[in-house]
Amino acid sequence: MRNILIALLLSLVAATPTFAGLNVVATLPWIGSLAKEIGKEKISVTTLIKPNQDPHYAEAKPSMILAGRKADILMYNGADMEIGYLPLVLQSARNPKIIPGKPGNCDCSGFVRIIDKQTAVDRSMGDVHPLGNPHYHFSTVNILRVAEGMADAMANLDRANADAYHANFRSFGARFNEHQKKWKTINLKEKKYIAYHKLFGYLEREYGFRIVDYIEPKPGIPPSAAHIEHLIEDMKRSKPDGILVTPAHGLKEAESLAARTGVKVIILPQDVGSMKGTDDWFAFMDTVIAAMR
Amino acid sequence: MKRLLPLLCMALLCVSSLPAFGMDTAERLNVLEKTLKEQARIIEEQQRTIGAMKEEINSSKTWAAAPAEEPVKTEEDSSLSSKVSGFFGGSVLTNPNISLVVDTFGYSSNLKKEELEERGIEQRKGFNLRAAELFLFAPVDSYFNLYAAIPITEEEVELEEAYAVTTSLPFGFQIKGGKFKSNFSRLDAQHPHAWDFADIALPYKAFLGEEALGGEKGVQVTWLPPLPFYTLLGAEILQGENDRLFGADARSGPHAYTLFAKTSFDTGDNSSLLFGPYVLFGKAHQPSEEGLDFRGNSNLWGVEAVWKWKQGKQGVTLQGEYLYLSQSGSEITDPGTGDTISRRLRQDGAYIQALYRYDRWRIGARYDTLDLFSDSLKLGGEEQALGKRPWRTTASLEFNPSEFSRIRLQYTHDRSSRDSRANNEWWLQFIFGIGAHGAHEF
Repeated sequence: MRNILIALLLSLVAATPTFAGLNVVATLPWIGSLAKEIGKEKISVTTLIKPNQDPHYAEAKPSMILAGRKADILMYNGADMEIGYLPLVLQSARNPKIIPGKPGNCDCSGFVRIIDKQTAVDRSMGDVHPLGNPHYHFSTVNILRVAEGMADAMANLDRANADAYHANFRSFGARFNEHQKKWKTINLKEKKYIAYHKLFGYLEREYGFRIVDYIEPKPGIPPSAAHIEHLIEDMKRSKPDGILVTPAHGLKEAESLAARTGVKVIILPQDVGSMKGTDDWFAFMDTVIAAMR
Repeated sequence: MKRLLPLLCMALLCVSSLPAFGMDTAERLNVLEKTLKEQARIIEEQQRTIGAMKEEINSSKTWAAAPAEEPVKTEEDSSLSSKVSGFFGGSVLTNPNISLVVDTFGYSSNLKKEELEERGIEQRKGFNLRAAELFLFAPVDSYFNLYAAIPITEEEVELEEAYAVTTSLPFGFQIKGGKFKSNFSRLDAQHPHAWDFADIALPYKAFLGEEALGGEKGVQVTWLPPLPFYTLLGAEILQGENDRLFGADARSGPHAYTLFAKTSFDTGDNSSLLFGPYVLFGKAHQPSEEGLDFRGNSNLWGVEAVWKWKQGKQGVTLQGEYLYLSQSGSEITDPGTGDTISRRLRQDGAYIQALYRYDRWRIGARYDTLDLFSDSLKLGGEEQALGKRPWRTTASLEFNPSEFSRIRLQYTHDRSSRDSRANNEWWLQFIFGIGAHGAHEF
């Protein structure tokens, strides 16, 4: 009986499809998508969070642990974005290659300049990210840096294909410059918006528009009726150009606000693949910027 | 700068008044007046320079805030507070991670105080404090993580868990050593604040205790093979101090063991299933005050299954476990002569529960029972009457203002006390957590 079991187990292990290239595990869809741009056919990518899921409320699943077990490199957003599940995945994956401090542990926030770092924060302020605004995938400048960092990280682990990763990054950079020309022509300087969650801080800085108020009274805290009434009064005075929401974050609240104030709702994708026509990061950013005009 | 200014003035005054020595008073006054005017002019000039500098600083600030193509590694970015410390997230400054969870509840029942005590119900009618649970955890070095759980009750401080876990073993192995809550079953390793209901399911209560097996000293080895689906295989050697199944003096060395397997599949993008069998076995020694000790073997077999679905603000959890206990040995019937009688228990139990979450609200229902298929107690080969089948039904309503606070209202219709009357109990529970608390397992 025991022999049969062992034989069964061994055959299963042997039957596991093995991929010769780098096994990349990405937490968020945009990270997976970007990694694929840099790694192309040299890597296989597993993404833990699906585009339609809210990464703020994700929980650790055994399938995530299994993915971590098999990973050569783990790429994550950092800045506490994955605090709800990644520590548990790391502890349970039993994979020394991806633990912090190893080259297989790639914290993408290390490549970028994080804004809104908090020096004094406690939980009465709501779901504040003390390490700063983690939603830097809305930032064009930062994404280029992340792509470069990813190329370096992959090249470091897989030296045989280092040239390919760097070449892919250069072609990504060329595409980036093409898009950047287009994005730079767009002027949002005079615009004012209301937003549901603090997702768009980087866009705000790069495009110079203003987010005058938030539907959430504090990050992660749903609005009370009184807060909504207050907001409506404010909106009647300030007349914003739109209410920025994502399909997963506050669409319902925004629509009822729109009905009462006449301000239009602007639905932005929260991540790559979360709306139609946002299959890669460029398409995602195109969609975001086009919608804001 | 501001402090320097008066000093500067003093120095200038001294220097400029030096040549005034030996002149007459009017002249000296004149000189002084001139010097003072000169001072005022200098101060004004300096103030202007300061203003200009301030403006310059402000304008450079706004420039820095605008997106710039400068290199990323600034001094600020490499400072201590901005680095992520890894395993548990957060900043280095919170190392070790500390959290405190306060678990408090109000309890009411239709039974009298004496009846509750007779049934071994520890909570009192009215206000209760279960514990303030203190958790500490951090990486020890690049090879181990250390965890400790210290529940503090009004009477005592207990070191319930204190264990190290390896982080860098190859081939998917992990070793845990120290004192820990065994991971053999679904509910055993959960701390009370993480339970889905205010109390633990009936089979656990009956076979293991109010808080399951509890912390046991020992070693655990788990292996996660690189299969196409998640399978965790584990084995533990424990000291065996649980007084229902084992007993500290059942043998001089470790005398409790577990074996378990857990398998999981994703049943869709938003749902997962986890299930697995387990066994907990070892030597038993239950002393009694009258000297009617029981010695023998305990074997607890079980199977767990849980299915979770989660989408947006909604979530569903379905969970159940079946446990089968077999205990055989001999019981002393006369402490004087040491006469014994054989004792053989075959009893099972199960629970099923369902939880539905919508945003900050959650409702739950649970049914738990004993003697599902098996309820045999033989003393000296003779079948003993156990009485009516024990069972309970529970309903709960929770409001979770945030992930760090929970308010739970629970009603339980408890018929677990065989032939006596039902206990209709109400719980109003408040759980609050502060500090860096680790994420809970699937």
